[in-house]
Amino acid sequence: MDAALRQNQISDVFKNYQIPPHFLDEVFQNPGEAHPHYQAVFQQFLDFTKDEFKELNEHAKMSFFNQGITFSVYSEEAKGVERIFPFDLFPRIIPASEWARLEEGIIQRCLAMNLFIEDIYTKQHILRDKVVPAELIFSSKNYLKAMLDIKPVGGIYNHISGTDLIKHRDGQYYVLEDNLRCPSGISYVLSNRVAMKRTLFQLFRQFNVNTVHEYPQELLATMQSVAPNGIDAPTCVVLTPGVYNSAYFEHAFLALTMGVPLVEGRDLYVEKNFVYMKTINGPKRVDVVYRRLDDDFLDPMTFKPDSMLGVPGIMAAYKKGNVNLLNAPGTGFADDKAVYAYVPDIIRYYLQQEPILNNVHTYRCEKEDDLAYVLENMDQLVVKPVDESGGYGILIGNKATKEQLSEFRHRVTENRRKYIAQPIMALSMHATFIEGEDQFEPRHVDLRTFTLLGKDRQFVLKGGLSRVALKKGSLIVNSSQGGGSKDTWVLMDDGTHMAMHQDNGSQSMTQNGQTMTMGPEGMTMGPLNPE
Amino acid sequence: MKTVYEVVYQTQNSYEETVREAFFSFLVLPCQDQTQQVRTCSFSNSLDAEVFHHRNPFGFDVTSLRSPRPFTQFEFCMRAVVEKSFAFFPYGSTMTVAQEQEQLQDHSFYLSHHLFLSTGHYTRIDPQHYPQLLFRQKDQTVYQYLQQLNNHLYQLLEFDPEPTHVCTSANEVLQLGRGVCQDFTHLFIGVARLHKIPCRYVSGYLNQGLNLTGTAVMHAWAEAYIPGFGWQGFDPTNNLLADVHYIKAAHGSDYSDCSPIKGMLRTNGGHTTTYGVKIIPLPEPYSSQ
Repeated sequence: MDAALRQNQISDVFKNYQIPPHFLDEVFQNPGEAHPHYQAVFQQFLDFTKDEFKELNEHAKMSFFNQGITFSVYSEEAKGVERIFPFDLFPRIIPASEWARLEEGIIQRCLAMNLFIEDIYTKQHILRDKVVPAELIFSSKNYLKAMLDIKPVGGIYNHISGTDLIKHRDGQYYVLEDNLRCPSGISYVLSNRVAMKRTLFQLFRQFNVNTVHEYPQELLATMQSVAPNGIDAPTCVVLTPGVYNSAYFEHAFLALTMGVPLVEGRDLYVEKNFVYMKTINGPKRVDVVYRRLDDDFLDPMTFKPDSMLGVPGIMAAYKKGNVNLLNAPGTGFADDKAVYAYVPDIIRYYLQQEPILNNVHTYRCEKEDDLAYVLENMDQLVVKPVDESGGYGILIGNKATKEQLSEFRHRVTENRRKYIAQPIMALSMHATFIEGEDQFEPRHVDLRTFTLLGKDRQFVLKGGLSRVALKKGSLIVNSSQGGGSKDTWVLMDDGTHMAMHQDNGSQSMTQNGQTMTMGPEGMTMGPLNPE
Repeated sequence: MKTVYEVVYQTQNSYEETVREAFFSFLVLPCQDQTQQVRTCSFSNSLDAEVFHHRNPFGFDVTSLRSPRPFTQFEFCMRAVVEKSFAFFPYGSTMTVAQEQEQLQDHSFYLSHHLFLSTGHYTRIDPQHYPQLLFRQKDQTVYQYLQQLNNHLYQLLEFDPEPTHVCTSANEVLQLGRGVCQDFTHLFIGVARLHKIPCRYVSGYLNQGLNLTGTAVMHAWAEAYIPGFGWQGFDPTNNLLADVHYIKAAHGSDYSDCSPIKGMLRTNGGHTTTYGVKIIPLPEPYSSQ
């Protein structure tokens, strides 16, 4: 196939691509002209024909089937159906300098949250100083009296945080949620990378992308760092609610990659305030538990008395410092969406620093004037329940019907503490391969990051889960709500070869004007690694 | 004046099917405070399981055990000798009504007592029931008012173990107009908290020699915070103040913090449970004037 003929076919997948007028496009700055850090990948993608791309896409999907990566959805119709989390081959790329700032902001936020949780369960200074309203904390169902005066070994409550970020129209990152209750998604980050390498290794190897595969070892090191006092070689386990949990794959995946046992509640027991695991060689003491079980189910002696998934007596063992739990129970009041509004103040209060990351303005329906505003302007707001996760129970005002709006007005008025509202954020969009259409179209994306805090150690995974709302125009990216995901590349340096590409690229782009169908010069890609 | 009691808590449980594994926690040991001292205590169970202890979020001793082997019968017994001394009542308040109210409205006072001020399933009262309730007169001190409230609830509700159960809420009790000590107590707590008076649920034992209501099983009453004095026990079931005849085991926000027995069992069939208490004032040489 000669170059010119090939050219005409390749543009097929990008031919109809329209830069969204109201949103930030992560990939393109002008039609056919990618942002500098996307230039090289874009040029390579142009090299594939539509059929080749479809084949690659199938190949990537296969990789997920083969890795056995599935999740199930909680809904009436789809009870327990296992699905594959759709994966998009066009990676999300974040330049090194942009990431450095993000990482700083994420650490700042997680550290402040840890101090906040500790304060709330001990001295409550922040409430005495009226920086955060006490009623707001005390009325959260995730504020647990069982945690009062408990100081976990190592002083960490939110060992694992999954900070969700979006990039707004203004080019700035905003935190959407803090997710301090054992956030999921990391297994997708790692398997997306595997799928990416299996499918496009030639492309991937040309870039200096930060690795993500060290995450399980970092998690294990985090667990070991907070082992009970006097334990040199702690026994760590992953506690799962069982195979029916939507994230069971991830629990198994983490246990496997960390090289630690995966246990259910019935595999553990408490005797004299120590936790033991039943093994074929008899009882083995357990020191650190990464529990993927909600607080409510963790210990029937302390929380929900009818839970058969938990470990009776484990809270007493925890209180005595004989076992450590990741994350600490009761962190959920801090990622409550109504408390979210106060996070910038929380950062200032504990760290005496200005927040690095932006917060989305939040209306608390509990407040009179906020409620009035929300009821009046609901069609321009996103209304969210404060204590749900997974994108359930959300109303997006401009997409809602009259009936939905009036139903939500009613719901909000009935239970004001339970709802907050935010302006509809203009989530950035990213070129995404749409099956059926067999071409790239812009879709909304967010970014879940993963942060680990241990005793004297901090780690932010240089990567993350870029979740894509596959439905056209949809803003909800949760896997449970029909989202997909992308491999996320955090570049090691915004090095010279990329910059040179930008020059080469933009020159040729300018010659081609604004059209997506590029002439031969435009496609003269220039060497990717100029020697 | 001091009285010494022997307090016994006993429970018998039988199971239709073998229990393969079980974990029990008991919150039944009399606590130590200004008016009571535990001289001796002992625990026994039919499984010969070694018991172990921890303190619950309110600082009370919880006794736990794990079954070492399968079983179909389980008995547990706690025996304690408790020395109870005479409690002072808040006669004549040291604070004016205005001073009391100022303290109750204070922010850091609220923070220190928030667990005993917010209402939940058991203690929330719907405004529709307010007409039935007794509210504080403007010139009443907290203590004066709570004594009246104690009497008011005693008159309002009829003692009747039939219609209510462990999950009955204050609202349901108001609809029924009857209930047991747990229900009287939740209602008392709910009304006190409406007045921003910190109030907590107490479970314990009642001297069986006095012909009072609620002596056959563990009893429940309320403790309210009297500004300028401290915590004072009120027993709306008997229209009494908690005195030397009341032996406290534990307190909490409501019943859910005080349930005397909790268990997690791996078994298939049903079970029957009985339990009883004995509270016997010991004769000389224990008692002394």
